[in-house]
Amino acid sequence: MVGATFTSAADHNVTDSHLYLDGIPHDRFAALRAQPGIAWHPYGNDGFWAVTRHADVKEVSKNPEVYSSALGHTNLWDLEADALEARRSLIDTDAPDHTRLRRLISNVFTPKDIGRWGDLTRSVVHDVLDDFEAAGGGDWVDLVAAPLPIRVILSILGVPIEDADYLVELSNYLVEGTGEEQSLPPDAFGNSTELRLLPFNSPASHAMFEYGARLADLRRDNPRDDMVTMLVQAEADGKKLSASEFRNLFHLLIFAGNETTRTALSHGAIAFAEHPAQLARLTADRSLIDTATDEVLRSATPVLHMRRTTTRATELAGTEIGAGEKVVMWYASANRDESVFPDPFAFDIDRGGSNQFSFGGGGPYFCLGAFLARLEISSLFDAMADRGIGLEQRGEIKRCPSNCVHGVLAVDMEPVK
Amino acid sequence: MNECSDRVAPNPVTLIVDAEKCIGSGMCEMLEEAIFLIDEDTNVADVIGTGHLPADRAAAVIDRCPAGAISATDQAAT
Repeated sequence: MVGATFTSAADHNVTDSHLYLDGIPHDRFAALRAQPGIAWHPYGNDGFWAVTRHADVKEVSKNPEVYSSALGHTNLWDLEADALEARRSLIDTDAPDHTRLRRLISNVFTPKDIGRWGDLTRSVVHDVLDDFEAAGGGDWVDLVAAPLPIRVILSILGVPIEDADYLVELSNYLVEGTGEEQSLPPDAFGNSTELRLLPFNSPASHAMFEYGARLADLRRDNPRDDMVTMLVQAEADGKKLSASEFRNLFHLLIFAGNETTRTALSHGAIAFAEHPAQLARLTADRSLIDTATDEVLRSATPVLHMRRTTTRATELAGTEIGAGEKVVMWYASANRDESVFPDPFAFDIDRGGSNQFSFGGGGPYFCLGAFLARLEISSLFDAMADRGIGLEQRGEIKRCPSNCVHGVLAVDMEPVK
Repeated sequence: MNECSDRVAPNPVTLIVDAEKCIGSGMCEMLEEAIFLIDEDTNVADVIGTGHLPADRAAAVIDRCPAGAISATDQAAT
């Protein structure tokens, strides 16, 4: 394992999952950002180019024809060819298939379309805050950050609300799959597929595939006004989604629509608990809600990195990069780049501009659910301002041991007036 | 014509969408609703209205299009 033998290069190791139990290793990222060019980071028997500056992450993001999402994997490790095919979703597909898939589902995720979910989202926000206040506080993840996004995405997809707990449970197991240890046996949920063929190497992915396929069958026979119906009926360039495309997309939408927003809402609460003056500022001036949402996103960076693989030899920040090499964009670092964000570790809800990279560094892989996530985050903190409640953190943050997602497993919060 | 990559487009500029590249994110429609509309059948952005924007707003919408599908034409707006 990387991390056991520290050489000079390994002092900048940012992949050891255990580092993340104490939070993002920002000192190491700062050291990487300060180095000229792009640093080579050892990983396993090989390594990757660690892209840590804001401008370089943007450059990689905006040039998908050089920095492919479809080769190898979008995680640090490569997948075997058959596993890559079986697991392939929107995230690890290149143009033109990416463009076709993305377009096929884009018309429920544009800012205009997301606006239709405003009332639903605000109603869910008030429900979870009612529960939180009635309980006198407790685990913020369990009471607020987890139920809010899953209820919203399930409503949009058309998943019955009584199945929400089951899908939250599956999603929690998937997060485990991004760390190093899994508590599930390989045959959990009746799984008989080799784990390497499943997203996050998790049998919970099998369960999510099965659930999605059953729901698709139901909606094919009895169409409803929901997103699963739209997906099974949709065509782009004369082609419907294949069964594999559908199940991977369903899986992606549940996981991404749930886990990443949960992380943002958790870190947002932690930041506002630590900086009550910022919440007071928002309460006094609601016109700050958009920039506050960006600052919550910047502070949270729910997805720490994404990997690309070069299609040809290229140059980045003066560093020669060969063809077929791994290039990893560390959003966690770009979001603390001192050349873009003055005093980057300060939580300031009025930075202005939306150049944080929690939705990616631009380019066609820009987060599909960005506008939905913004709606959920802004609705939550706006509602807290409405209610005049602040937060006091009790005890330590229990973090996810992952170099990939910035997950919060639990954090106790108390509502304060 | 003189090939100069950093040539500044005249003000205002006319914008066009590359339908092959567009992913239908709706970013342009959010930023400049008088100029862009996502077609409900194709999910691709269409240029509506004049298609003209002042250079600074044109640069912003070009930069923020995730797909890199928006560009300024050489033809100056009148």
